[in-house]
Amino acid sequence: MTKRGLRGDLTRWLVSLPPTVFLLVFFLAPTLIMVTASFQNPGEFGGLAPLFAEGQARLTLETYRFFFGDWIYAEIFLRSFLVAGATTLICLIFAYPLALTIAASPKRHRDLLVLLVILPFASNFLIRVYAWIILLGPAGLLYTPIAVIAGMVYVHLPFMILPLYTNLEKHDPTLLEAAQDLGAGAWTRFWRVTWPLSLPGIWSGTALVFIPVLGMFAIPELLGGTGDILIGNLIKEQFLESRDWPLGSTLSLLLTLAVLALAALSAWAASPRRQRS
Amino acid sequence: MKALLLAALLLAAPARGEDVLYLYNWNNYISDDTVQRFETSCKCRLKQDYYSDNEEMLAKLEAGAAGYDLIVPTGNAVESLIRRQALRPLDKTLLPHLPNIKREYLDPWYDPGNRYSVPYATTVTLLGFNVTRLAELGLPTDSWALIFEPEYLAKLKGRVTVLNSQRELMAAAMRYLGHSVHTRDPAQWDEAKRLILRAKPYWATFSNSTYIKDLAIGTIWVAHGYSSDMYRAQQDARQAKRPFAIGFTTPKEGAVLAVDNFVLHKSGRRPDLAHRFIDFMLDGANAADISNLIGAGNPNAAATPYIAPEIAGNPAIFPSPAQMQRLEMLRDLDPATRRSLSRMWTEIKVR
Repeated sequence: MTKRGLRGDLTRWLVSLPPTVFLLVFFLAPTLIMVTASFQNPGEFGGLAPLFAEGQARLTLETYRFFFGDWIYAEIFLRSFLVAGATTLICLIFAYPLALTIAASPKRHRDLLVLLVILPFASNFLIRVYAWIILLGPAGLLYTPIAVIAGMVYVHLPFMILPLYTNLEKHDPTLLEAAQDLGAGAWTRFWRVTWPLSLPGIWSGTALVFIPVLGMFAIPELLGGTGDILIGNLIKEQFLESRDWPLGSTLSLLLTLAVLALAALSAWAASPRRQRS
Repeated sequence: MKALLLAALLLAAPARGEDVLYLYNWNNYISDDTVQRFETSCKCRLKQDYYSDNEEMLAKLEAGAAGYDLIVPTGNAVESLIRRQALRPLDKTLLPHLPNIKREYLDPWYDPGNRYSVPYATTVTLLGFNVTRLAELGLPTDSWALIFEPEYLAKLKGRVTVLNSQRELMAAAMRYLGHSVHTRDPAQWDEAKRLILRAKPYWATFSNSTYIKDLAIGTIWVAHGYSSDMYRAQQDARQAKRPFAIGFTTPKEGAVLAVDNFVLHKSGRRPDLAHRFIDFMLDGANAADISNLIGAGNPNAAATPYIAPEIAGNPAIFPSPAQMQRLEMLRDLDPATRRSLSRMWTEIKVR
């Protein structure tokens, strides 16, 4: 190996060190703590019972047994995935035409349009949700599942628009012209050219919307009715009101696993090898 | 998070320099005016961090938040903190104004002999309502039946909110059923659950804070909540000149009483300033501040002359001795009971 190559390796190593350390400290370590906590006993005043007592490790499967003891928690998981799925779908339906319009508009307007998409972030999240309380109240929709979905869609829409726009903007317009020359109508051009090319944008938008919606607790709490409880609310409740960290950790962990499984499934579904076959 | 940051700052900054008293307090639980007067009298600074419920405060202390000289927990949380050995005993020679506290608030079950705590303010969990609407509908306002009985709820569908709190809602149901809020009898718990599930379809939502605004603008007609919040809704509706009035009463079956107390946390560095602050707040004129500010009940006898008559004369804020008999304070539950209550609560939400 030449001296130069060695230095290149060192540089590469130094550059990748901070993000690696960051991930280890702020992702891996908390996840491991969470895994351990899910096997511990709850502490009397909250928190966790000591891990070691009288020279023995105090670990228990009790929390998992409790979780899988009946269907009620699984039901909330299912419900949350349905809400997240519906939100993602509606976001996609709203975002796609908008992203197309921005991508097709003259270059000098695009930056302004993108800026308008992100503008709502300039005001506080809770204030924007409170604005929905004012909007939905007179319509008689406040404290209903519809209100929850509306709030979710509103808050997460930009996260669908932006990756879609970034993708659509890069499409080569000559492809559409070629399709037209070959006799493809507007619909065929969209369905056979634009849509397949935009799939990566759709997938990243979906991930950016679906996952945060799963963990959201403020929107169902403020806009939802008596039955609108999602996993996020359940987890928050374990850490605050019930002070049951093991159950909260178990719920968070199972949620993380479910999301990972879903991500793996969608990656497999979207893999190019499979699409060709 | 803020608490952890504060703890980090405290560790980083040396203790010399300015005299600072750190208070971990409820939101909006002392007026700026009172803070200023205290700062002038002690030539020190009062720094506050805020929490919105006891569980949040306990959870954050449990997670390692430190550096607070004073905390303002409710009775049940005081008991937990004492058992946790997280509190510093009071030095009563530094509290000459302590005899100002009314007899019925001294020597409480959560701190026999007041070794650690000095009561500061009280709240009752009760029913707030739209006086005008309920009179039109001819509904009674003095009973929990209003939020539990379908015969009344039929006229109120979608106009009722209840607290999003396992403990408070179960306590209301227990009082209505004629049981103690402390009951551990599974049959009585089940009875309360069925009562709640029967009434739930008529409720608009579980709400811990939005009901203040909802009552004040007239979209919600009955709310289960805290007396101080109801006082605020009443004032808001009046100031906005709404064509209706907000009232609140303690249901005749009894309710939950919360007594908030000053306690010294062991992690605090300035017990001297903390005692000065407590004694300053025990003075009648200063003690009255919290009642005038948010409509809280007051355990301080010397405060009464300084409290606005409208507040001091409201039996829902200052319960009569007869009513006091029917008020109960919540007690902390052990982990196993907390888990089964949480399980029941989840079922209530999902069904």
